[in-house]
Amino acid sequence: MNLQIRYTTTFNYPKTVRDSHNVLKACPTSNAAQTLESYDLAIDPPARVFSYVDYWGTRVDSFGIFEPHEQLTIVATSHVVTHPAPSIDLSIDVARYAEPDYRVEYRAYLDPTRHTEWTPPLAELARDTVHGVEDANGAATRLMEAVRDRLSYAPGSTYVGMELAQVLENGQGVCQDYAHAHIALARSVGIPARYVSGYLYAADQSLGSTPDEAEIDVETHAWVEIHIPGWGWQPFDPTNGTPVAESHVKIGHGRDYDDVAPLRGVYHGPEDHELGVSVRISREELAGRQSQQ
Amino acid sequence: MLKTTFAEAYDNGEPRLHYRALMERLHSLAPGDLQGRARLVESTFRTLGITFAVSGREEGLERTWPMDLVPRIIPGSEWEIIEAGLKQRVRALNLFLDDLYVGAQAALHDGVIPRWVVESADGYLREAHGLRAPQGAHCVVAGIDLIRDGGGVYRVLEDNLRVPSGVSYVLENRVAMTRALPIAFRNHAVRPVSHYGASLLTALRSIAPTASGDPTVVVLTPGIANSAYFEHAFLARQMGVELVEGRDLVVQDQVLFMRTTRGLARVDVVYSRVGDEFLDPVVFRHDSLLGIPGIVSAYRAGNVTIANAIGNGAADDKAVYAYVPDMIRYFLAEEPILPNVTTYLPWQNEDREQIFDRLEELVVKPVAEAGGYGIVIGSQADRATLEDLRAKLTAQPRGYIAQETIQLSTHPTLIDASLEERHIDLRPFVLTGEDIEVIPGGLTRVALPEGSLIVNSSQGGGSKDTWVLEDDGAVATR
Amino acid sequence: MLSRHAEDLYWTGRYIERAEDTARLLDVTHHGMLELSGEDAAQANRDVLEVLSLETRFTGSAEDSAAVTNFLVLDQDNPGSISSAVARARTNARGLRDRISSELWEAINSFYLDLQALDLSEEIHEHPYQVYRRVKNSCQMVTGVAAETMPRDDGYRFLTMGRLLERAEMTTRLLDVRYHRLVDSPGAMSFNRWAALLKSVSAYEAYLKEYRAAVDPIQVLAFLLLSADFPRSVQFCLQGTERELAGLIDTGVRSDAQRLLGMVCAKVEYCDLGSLLGGSLGDFLDELQEDIWQVGAAIDTHFFHHATDLDLHPYVTR
Repeated sequence: MNLQIRYTTTFNYPKTVRDSHNVLKACPTSNAAQTLESYDLAIDPPARVFSYVDYWGTRVDSFGIFEPHEQLTIVATSHVVTHPAPSIDLSIDVARYAEPDYRVEYRAYLDPTRHTEWTPPLAELARDTVHGVEDANGAATRLMEAVRDRLSYAPGSTYVGMELAQVLENGQGVCQDYAHAHIALARSVGIPARYVSGYLYAADQSLGSTPDEAEIDVETHAWVEIHIPGWGWQPFDPTNGTPVAESHVKIGHGRDYDDVAPLRGVYHGPEDHELGVSVRISREELAGRQSQQ
Repeated sequence: MLKTTFAEAYDNGEPRLHYRALMERLHSLAPGDLQGRARLVESTFRTLGITFAVSGREEGLERTWPMDLVPRIIPGSEWEIIEAGLKQRVRALNLFLDDLYVGAQAALHDGVIPRWVVESADGYLREAHGLRAPQGAHCVVAGIDLIRDGGGVYRVLEDNLRVPSGVSYVLENRVAMTRALPIAFRNHAVRPVSHYGASLLTALRSIAPTASGDPTVVVLTPGIANSAYFEHAFLARQMGVELVEGRDLVVQDQVLFMRTTRGLARVDVVYSRVGDEFLDPVVFRHDSLLGIPGIVSAYRAGNVTIANAIGNGAADDKAVYAYVPDMIRYFLAEEPILPNVTTYLPWQNEDREQIFDRLEELVVKPVAEAGGYGIVIGSQADRATLEDLRAKLTAQPRGYIAQETIQLSTHPTLIDASLEERHIDLRPFVLTGEDIEVIPGGLTRVALPEGSLIVNSSQGGGSKDTWVLEDDGAVATR
Repeated sequence: MLSRHAEDLYWTGRYIERAEDTARLLDVTHHGMLELSGEDAAQANRDVLEVLSLETRFTGSAEDSAAVTNFLVLDQDNPGSISSAVARARTNARGLRDRISSELWEAINSFYLDLQALDLSEEIHEHPYQVYRRVKNSCQMVTGVAAETMPRDDGYRFLTMGRLLERAEMTTRLLDVRYHRLVDSPGAMSFNRWAALLKSVSAYEAYLKEYRAAVDPIQVLAFLLLSADFPRSVQFCLQGTERELAGLIDTGVRSDAQRLLGMVCAKVEYCDLGSLLGGSLGDFLDELQEDIWQVGAAIDTHFFHHATDLDLHPYVTR
């Protein structure tokens, strides 16, 4: 798929703000499943941007605005071509997860983190879920289904920093919560899992079906990658349960949300602010096909 | 391992060669004279405000750190070995940190140190990846704690690579000693320490971003409430640079400035005495008000250098410590000159057995604590403590290391009116810039309660002036 | 120099001046009160509180002279009390130790420790004169030590400027409150009262020397407002501030602080004393207080707050 993504964040402050410092992680990565064709960043008021690739391989745009301002707009436009996903080897034995050397190597993705802390009942649920499952991909899929059974998609039902146990008890969440829950369950039974931040070309993030419209407005999305020994990191989208394929555009990954939060920072001014995040994705016909028409 | 105790000043009841002149002088003084001089030193320290704040207490509670009047003496030839050993160790530690954060992580790939040991260290920061340290000087200031075992062998007990403190006492103790015992001091060819400020400034200027012709250096302090505030002010004064707090600094377009009455003034090098996690609220603790938003970005952009570099905690972690001798072999292809204290790692099967078998003989330390907190000395612990420790070691093997109990050497120390043996250690300070320099001697800390092995200032420790001789003390008087 | 250091020095100057002025004012008031009736004493207390701009802060009764004294000397919760001012000066000086001479630090520190050691609550009612004298002496000691041990650099300029501005404000307020009282109640225009007004700014002897005559309202006003030689006159303080300010600002465009200060100086210099005494003095002094306050604010903006007083807030988006 040939996707044009425009990520826009607008801050409106009730009073003057000065000396803000911001870190943006909105640029799609390039890998076997997607190619980044172009990326462009526009900031108003204008700022000098310093960009680098962080430990996780994510492009980071860092910038500050010193002068007084009452509004800040960030527009990150990217053009990505996504490719069909390779098919997964289903025969990999879950026993590999228990090997000591393997556990040491993937330790960073096995330890609990702030957003993926699991309780004993959660660990028990995970154990029951994978009981008797022999292949790694199957185990990851079952855990994803367990999350989907317990959560329903409800925008605005949670906030950053809400405890996972609380989210699951309420039974409602958004994509970040689905991802953290899936990760926590996987890690609790010794399956390395990581958090993915990205964009999803789907009219309804909870259904994930490819839209009919060429241009849609969505939000940022999050899903999960589970490590399959000897195979690699296999993506799963617990929010909608669909295969992660050409509609998914990955920005980056980390141990949890904190490592890849799309935008964070600090500013000097009033605590209140009005925040608008929008993602507009438009699908374009590939150049080759256009010429055939 | 020897369970005996090494006496620094005496050998079979006779003063060692390099202590003869000092002991003669001390014994020639009238009884009570030393005590009088000690009181004088104490009151001078208080007036000058050479104090540390007692943590967790209200403001205004400041204590002087008692300086013992009997100096510790190290003969020149002995110091040469220590100095070479320290330089070797700090060189390897810098190479390790550069490899870890800037380089290809060869040491981890080659299995010199297990990756997980480094990655699970509290002070390891993924945010520090890609932050270049000019001259490869990740530790511009290192404080390496040395102790002497029963055989008199100097061993490294601990590396302090983040914000090692105490150097102000080295300098102030020297000034106080030359006043309190001028004749004894004059009778020895003692190597000077007073150039520390100049050496530190040279090292800091050498790591400035390349573009700055005449770099501006500042000392960054958390503020007046910090227990080491006196030292921060002292170092700024010694170097003739500004002592700044986070609120004095501002980052604009990835360039660091300080706010002055004549506008913003560019800063090139920050000697930071603020913990990494408080340095930049954009990157680390988002609620930290001590920090400077954007400073890490300015550092990454190469517009300012922060010393010590961010993330040094990956190398002075107590578990990583066990692998430093291997680092020296790997990076320098040399044998370590200064050995570690024999250390056992609870996550290694063969070590774990040793630990559990010999728990009442070993010392167990929590890896995440500093300042002597949480240490269990097996021989002094009761049954319940040891059982509790066993449970902790099983549950959290990465949380602890175990070491052979070393008695620490003893040194004559003025207790009331008489000289008594007390345990001591030594923290030399190693500066890395274009070259590596070790300030002669360092901070000798003394455990004042009889028999105590804990020398930390927070736990009843005092300090001594440390005299490194030009010679080996063969000449009694000059 | 660092803005923070400059600000702390400036305020150290203000705090020390405030402590000294308060002590002097209380001393004179206390002595004057010995001859007053209960009602007049309450009025005198109210006047003192007003001169110090603390009339709204004080919640006790103005009739209770002991309470007023406690409030102005001892009360740690009153930021304008002598104890608070000295404690704040000491806190500032502690953070400035690598900036100020060690003698100055010692002078401020011993002043503070001295007050701590004294059982002030007893002492202030038993021997008020000694306490006030001690405070005045210590303040002058601090000022003198600063003058004798500090280089005439920016740091010294900020310290001096703080002291002069505080004093200009104090003299203006004192004139405002006292002059009113004197003019409004002609019956009480005794020699003693005029003498007290002059004494409360240590101007009595200097005045007598200058005018070699009995106190005359217009001359008192001229002396306290306009004297170029008497260090507590409003004009003397403002011109001193102007000089220090000029040394702190690189050549080029005049700063707001300089412009404002120049205007205030001119206003004082060319005021018409006769018409002021004819009735407009109250308004003039109110305006003058406001002007001096504005100068302080302009100094604050120019030197101390390059960026912001705004709070830092972290944010994160999903």
